[in-house]
Amino acid sequence: MRTAMRAMIRKDFRGIAGNHRLFSTLFIVPLVLTVLVPSVFQLVIHFMPEEAELSKFLDMLPISARLETPEATLSHMILNYVLPVFFLLIPIFSASIMAASAFVGEKERHTLETLLYCPLTLRQIFQAKVLASFLLSMLVSLISFLAMILTVETESLLLTRRLLLPSVSWLPVMLLLAPSLSLTAITLIVRGSARARSVEESQQAAVFLILPLLLLIVGQLTGILLLNVWILLGIGVVCAALGLFLLGRCAGRFTFERLLQY
Amino acid sequence: METVITRNLSKTYSGGTEALKDLSLSLKEGEVFGFLGPNGAGKTTTVRLLTGVLTPSGGSCQVMGIHPGDRPEKVHLLSGIMTEHAQMYDHMTGMENLMFYAAAFGLEKGEGQRRSESLLRELELTEERDRKLAAYSTGMRQRLSLARALLHRPRVLFLDEPTSGLDPENVQNVNRMIRDLALKEGITVFLCTHQLRYAQEVCTRFGLIDQGVLLASGTLEQLREEVFPSKCLHIRAAKVPEDAGLLPRGPGEYVAEIHETEDIPHLIRKIVEAGGEIYSVTLPRPSLEEIYFALTAGRKEAQVR
Repeated sequence: MRTAMRAMIRKDFRGIAGNHRLFSTLFIVPLVLTVLVPSVFQLVIHFMPEEAELSKFLDMLPISARLETPEATLSHMILNYVLPVFFLLIPIFSASIMAASAFVGEKERHTLETLLYCPLTLRQIFQAKVLASFLLSMLVSLISFLAMILTVETESLLLTRRLLLPSVSWLPVMLLLAPSLSLTAITLIVRGSARARSVEESQQAAVFLILPLLLLIVGQLTGILLLNVWILLGIGVVCAALGLFLLGRCAGRFTFERLLQY
Repeated sequence: METVITRNLSKTYSGGTEALKDLSLSLKEGEVFGFLGPNGAGKTTTVRLLTGVLTPSGGSCQVMGIHPGDRPEKVHLLSGIMTEHAQMYDHMTGMENLMFYAAAFGLEKGEGQRRSESLLRELELTEERDRKLAAYSTGMRQRLSLARALLHRPRVLFLDEPTSGLDPENVQNVNRMIRDLALKEGITVFLCTHQLRYAQEVCTRFGLIDQGVLLASGTLEQLREEVFPSKCLHIRAAKVPEDAGLLPRGPGEYVAEIHETEDIPHLIRKIVEAGGEIYSVTLPRPSLEEIYFALTAGRKEAQVR
């Protein structure tokens, strides 16, 4: 039944691509976070006057984090401490949109029942839907990452004639944290899908994931909390385990009768 | 061969609503079974139980020897299901929708394409094949849903109000198709509708349901025998002898109660031999609608008592 599952995933992708409102939201928000915001940071850092306050702040940084010029240090900090947090928001955001459309959207448009009458087990339908949401969120994250690297490096080359080096922290962020947060967001949407009456209502579940991340962004920006690669790796493993555990439990609650409650 | 069997099938929803009570039915291969009743009678619940998307609260059911609750996906492979809650995708064209469901039912691309085109042609939707479903009328959507239900050549067809929203010409077309499927391909059709006149045209056997209870089932003749055991003969005549046993209904109009159609020639001979003049004799046959209303009225009376 792999053909059937592939057809379902392709159909969900086309559903998002065919919905102009969802499709533009899916691309505009990551574009703002990964192209516009880093560009503003780069320009502010390049054109701001050197001030004593700034030097004091830079002196507080660990020696390993300091580079030869304040501009290089700040650019490095933005790239490796602030921007990674956006890559925790993007998978949650894109997975929520896709999962809400794939689960609650089908229910809202009365197409879910037709899908339930296909010769697939409920688990196969669940897997196809989760996989579609997960793949889309990973695709959006990857495109956003490439767009950000291209923007940041081009601007750095033009403004300072040097390239910025992404730190090793990006590896746990992109390979562990982003996928596991994406899975967790999907499970939250699916759990709420039986009760939710509209796509918008179901997306509210993901807000609970975004709140701690906003605190993380504030911490990173103010320098209170600078996470190194080992801490990120630890958080990543915990999040992945949590995501998989929640997904397993969620699959158990995915029953015909729950899905047909209108 | 029995294709659909239910034994004391019951469903009570979590809120306490008893949607179906002790339904026992048995359908044979190639028959068009009309499951008739008003909205909320329990028809859709029965289809959902038979297709395994609802779990019975009591009793059991089988479709082609498979328990739907245990292996719903197997039942779906053998059944075509069309209900008013099972819609298709508005953002896709008619053909794209059929191709998607063909793939979901495991048909290869070429086979899916051929089958979709043939069904679109049969249901007169070829010109609409590349239009988005959002632009389809209710009737076109109904016909496309029927095409979707038939894509994988099912052995049992569950149709919930298949002709609602269709114009008379398309109703005839769909009726012909349903009859052909049953007669030529031996497909069992379980047809739910509240349109009794329509059902009388297309179905070979009937089950009448109200408030989750099966009131009666059988062929139209069997139902007539069961619900109206005595028949009323309408006679227009003059000079009718008093001992003929006719009850006057108006000037020159009489009714006679008979039990068998064989009683008619005896009665007529008796009137003629006694000098009576007969102008017309009719034996009105109760329609499905009259049978249904007689049954529901009888049930209401029993409830009041």
